[in-house]
Amino acid sequence: MLPEIKYYKANTVEETVHILAQNKHAIRILAGGTDLLPELRSEKQNRKVIILDISSIKLLNKIEDEGHFIRIGALVKHSQMVESILLGRHAGFLTQASSLVGSAQIRNRGTLGGNICNAAPCADTLPPLVALDAELTLESSSGNRTELLSGFIRGAYKTNRANDEFLTWIRFKKLPEGCRSNFIKLGRREALSIARLQVAACGMIDSNNKICYIRIVPGSTTPNVFRFTEVEEYLLGNEPSERLFSKAGDMVARKMVEITGVRWSTEYKKPVIAALVRRSLQAIFNLKPGVAVK
Amino acid sequence: MKIEIKVNNKRYCLEIEHNLTLLDLLRDELGLTGTKRGCEIGECGACTVIMNGDAVNSCLVLAPQADGSEIFTVEGLEENGELSILQKAFIEHEAVHCGFCTPGMLMSAKALLDKNPHPTEEEIKIAISGNLCRCTGYKQIIEAIKSVSNQ
Ligand SMILES: Cc1cc2nc3c(=O)[nH]c(=O)nc-3n(C[C@H](O)[C@H](O)[C@H](O)COP(=O)(O)OP(=O)(O)OC[C@H]3O[C@@H](n4cnc5c(N)ncnc54)[C@H](O)[C@@H]3O)c2cc1C
Ligand code: FES
Ligand code: FES
Repeated sequence: MLPEIKYYKANTVEETVHILAQNKHAIRILAGGTDLLPELRSEKQNRKVIILDISSIKLLNKIEDEGHFIRIGALVKHSQMVESILLGRHAGFLTQASSLVGSAQIRNRGTLGGNICNAAPCADTLPPLVALDAELTLESSSGNRTELLSGFIRGAYKTNRANDEFLTWIRFKKLPEGCRSNFIKLGRREALSIARLQVAACGMIDSNNKICYIRIVPGSTTPNVFRFTEVEEYLLGNEPSERLFSKAGDMVARKMVEITGVRWSTEYKKPVIAALVRRSLQAIFNLKPGVAVK
Repeated sequence: MKIEIKVNNKRYCLEIEHNLTLLDLLRDELGLTGTKRGCEIGECGACTVIMNGDAVNSCLVLAPQADGSEIFTVEGLEENGELSILQKAFIEHEAVHCGFCTPGMLMSAKALLDKNPHPTEEEIKIAISGNLCRCTGYKQIIEAIKSVSNQ
């Protein structure tokens, strides 16, 4: 059973910030509900919940081409992301990540904004968005602010969103011409969390066959999501090779353990994340045909 | 609160509690019990209906969110008092064992075929990957959907 609910609906950004300003403390924002409804069901307390449904704000339901940048409204659903030719062309790994979220039914309701604001360590769109250095716009009655996604996420299921603000736009620069990207996901949500790992990576080589652009973001490995810049720097300026990529995989695995410490799952995760990074780089730089693991 | 909703081409005006899901509304308020209640957390797909053209888990839609929407449930599949081609194909291919997953499977399959009348096997698998079946092993279900797409 769902708890008792007081339901509000906002049709515009202005209405949303107005209602948020008046109900600062208790309000729960509802977009697609694919995270929120199961969460409400599992809460044992019998308190009345105030819900603000933002799913009908039309303005935030589109993907816009801004020249060098792409801007995605927080209410865009995973299924829309999968169908977007613009995203497919300029941020392929983000499309790939959305295509692997849940099931067709979940992708038809779940939004990009919900995936970000729920801030699950295993949220699929986070690694590619962080690799793109995506920037968020948060709106409140006192105006708006922008912040890098990597700073917005403050650990597992934590963000620095203030109670009276909400996410409106996600914006990033298109990948450079010729840059290839790849998203690998291992394991399913229903399975034990030990079996969930992702890698988002993108990169390209220059005319001398040296790596001139590279970004690597593992997912589900650490409470925060960030680019593994040390590994990126190690790869830059080198020629793609099996040995180089193996080394990069090992570096990512070592760094992961440095951050999280040794846990019961480390024995398993370490070799697997190393292999996923290696495979992802092989796919980008065409050493072997890339295989998507599900 | 008051909501207006179209279900299987019939318009309803209802007074509902705020904490109902679309699944509760269909089964308990409208008596359309063809849509099944399984896990209620989006994992099993037994509650799948078509909402504004898309397959969704009705257990994850808050009923007030369905205000103004158009819904199709398994009860809406029959054509002129007869089972639809898709339903007949499920029977012919023995894709129905205990039948609990069937309404959800049918709605996922219909949502796919409405948009893409000739899906590949891979597309069929993707479309029903959110529908669990404990009995059939899926093969018969995939064959049934394929047979309709070939017609
Ligand atoms: C069966 C199942 C399978 C799933 N599989 C996956 C998977 O494979 N990968 C994956 O990444 N996720 C998965 N999910 C999780 C979920 O579907 C996604 O995270 C989805 O993108 C959430 O979007 P939503 O619109 O449904 O969010 P909601 O449930 O509406 O909201 C989620 C949270 O974010 C807040 N919120 C939403 N929008 C905003 C906004 N604009 N501003 C501020 N706060 C906001 C809400 O208050 C809530 O706390 C799965 C869920 C289910 C039930
Ligand atoms: S009852 Fe809705 S998905 Fe299981
Ligand atoms: S026929 Fe029994 S669950 Fe599918």
